[in-house]
Amino acid sequence: MAEERQKEIERSAEEIVESFVKAAEGLPSEREMYYSQEAYNVVRPDGKPSSSEERTEFRKRFIKIMPAKDEDGNLRVEVAKWVK
Amino acid sequence: MGEVTKAKLDQLRSGELSPVENVRRALERISKLNPKINAFIEVNNGAVAQAEALERKLKRGKRAGKLAGLAIGIKSNINVNGLRATCASRTLEDYVAAYDAEVVKRVLVEDGIIIGVNNMDEFACGSSGETSAFGATDNPAAPSRIPGGSSSGGGAAIAAAMCDLCLGTDTGGSIRNPASHCGVVGVKPTYGLVPRQGLIDLGMSLDQIGPIAPDVYGAALLLEVIAGKNQNECVMLDVPKTSYIDKLDGADIKGMKVGISPQFSEITDPAVMNVIDKSIEALRDLGAEIVDIELPHIEEALPAYYLIVSVEFFSTTRKFDGRKYGKRIEDVCGDEVLRRILRGRYISQKEYRGKYYQRALQVRTLIRRELMAALEKVDVIVGPTVPKLPHKLGEKISVDAMYAYDYLTIPANLAGICGGVVKAGEVNGIPVGLQVQGMVLGEEQVLRVMRAFEAVSSTTTV
Repeated sequence: MAEERQKEIERSAEEIVESFVKAAEGLPSEREMYYSQEAYNVVRPDGKPSSSEERTEFRKRFIKIMPAKDEDGNLRVEVAKWVK
Repeated sequence: MGEVTKAKLDQLRSGELSPVENVRRALERISKLNPKINAFIEVNNGAVAQAEALERKLKRGKRAGKLAGLAIGIKSNINVNGLRATCASRTLEDYVAAYDAEVVKRVLVEDGIIIGVNNMDEFACGSSGETSAFGATDNPAAPSRIPGGSSSGGGAAIAAAMCDLCLGTDTGGSIRNPASHCGVVGVKPTYGLVPRQGLIDLGMSLDQIGPIAPDVYGAALLLEVIAGKNQNECVMLDVPKTSYIDKLDGADIKGMKVGISPQFSEITDPAVMNVIDKSIEALRDLGAEIVDIELPHIEEALPAYYLIVSVEFFSTTRKFDGRKYGKRIEDVCGDEVLRRILRGRYISQKEYRGKYYQRALQVRTLIRRELMAALEKVDVIVGPTVPKLPHKLGEKISVDAMYAYDYLTIPANLAGICGGVVKAGEVNGIPVGLQVQGMVLGEEQVLRVMRAFEAVSSTTTV
């Protein structure tokens, strides 16, 4: 059933791709546009670091939601099951 | 018409209504109506305490911020510290945000009270409000029909007066579409005007956070609060802070050029178009000059959009791989989310010689060029928001029919321009929204036209 669902969804996903190819036939070639604005702020100014109190608070909140921790309270990361 | 938010603010500022009382009323209304409407996924248990803190601040003689204790709903894909940001998906059902998104920080600074988290289509993938893992949202303005999506909870919450204002997100029409179906006001800002930091992306080059409100004043006010550069973001426009509400009083559109396109009526239900035509007449009566414009490739925007958004969504969801953090997205998501992921993967794998994604980006350039050329001739473009009426909840419709809801809203996202929706009228009791699109950073003109229309509108009924 799950496989059937995946196949059906895959088919419908491919259909829209093919319908786009047809729709785009004959349209003029333009320069590709990745973002509608080209004002990138890639060199960001160094901001003021957050206060140590704020960092401590954030750490507390983060510890509450992190999946696993070691005895020192550090985030424990596991390798995914599918990685051999 | 359109005085709800201003009247509430006057009450809050004069002390006639206290912030605590406002929040309590909203919570009572949510508790009463939410079991049927399902506009909220979670209520903020700290809302009353936040309102009490505001009251203490006022008692100390300090001035209230611009939002002065209004109750604000936040879409579930925006991080609010201490509340779940699930994107209405099982993937993130246990994720409690550890920080506030930049827009939420700005709302709090202006004394908005976060009342809760609004329902939405799963990961904003949908136009009906039916794909949420927490159940579909009903439309208070047209019961048993879809409220539109993906900001379904926000649209429905405002239509049912469960809170004062909401923040939604719009990637291909997700604010404007529910605003139209629910008979409320929504604004999709210019791309880059509002910070996206703290938003869980659908399509990073298209998403914008924007307001949903009962009236144009409310939308303008919330936009004013959230708009403006954030130093920490890479793709933002560097524009000075603007006041939008100051320019709304006595909004006059005499002599403004309003564009209409014959392509809109070609793809729109005649009953919907009838309401829109009457709205255009109302604009003419207000002194606007109606000008015909051509948008010949508007229909190609839809397939191009679905290619671009699928590739961006596929990329953004790769972090939800289930490594003990959330659940692996493909294992628990709904059909539409899976469809977009698989489509994105398919395109990414097959992309060679620019056949798909690169070509879609070229079509995007074409659409933008066409809209920009039209907006050089006119101040705004008006037309329908959604080409058809909302279907009944649970009714099975094809994928193509579902995507068709977005035909008229997608072009603004591809071009990065702004657009707003105000109620134009009704067909058999179902609301129909008038869409007003403006140039890049043309929010002022868009809001002016919306406000002028709202002030004289008695809403057409067909």
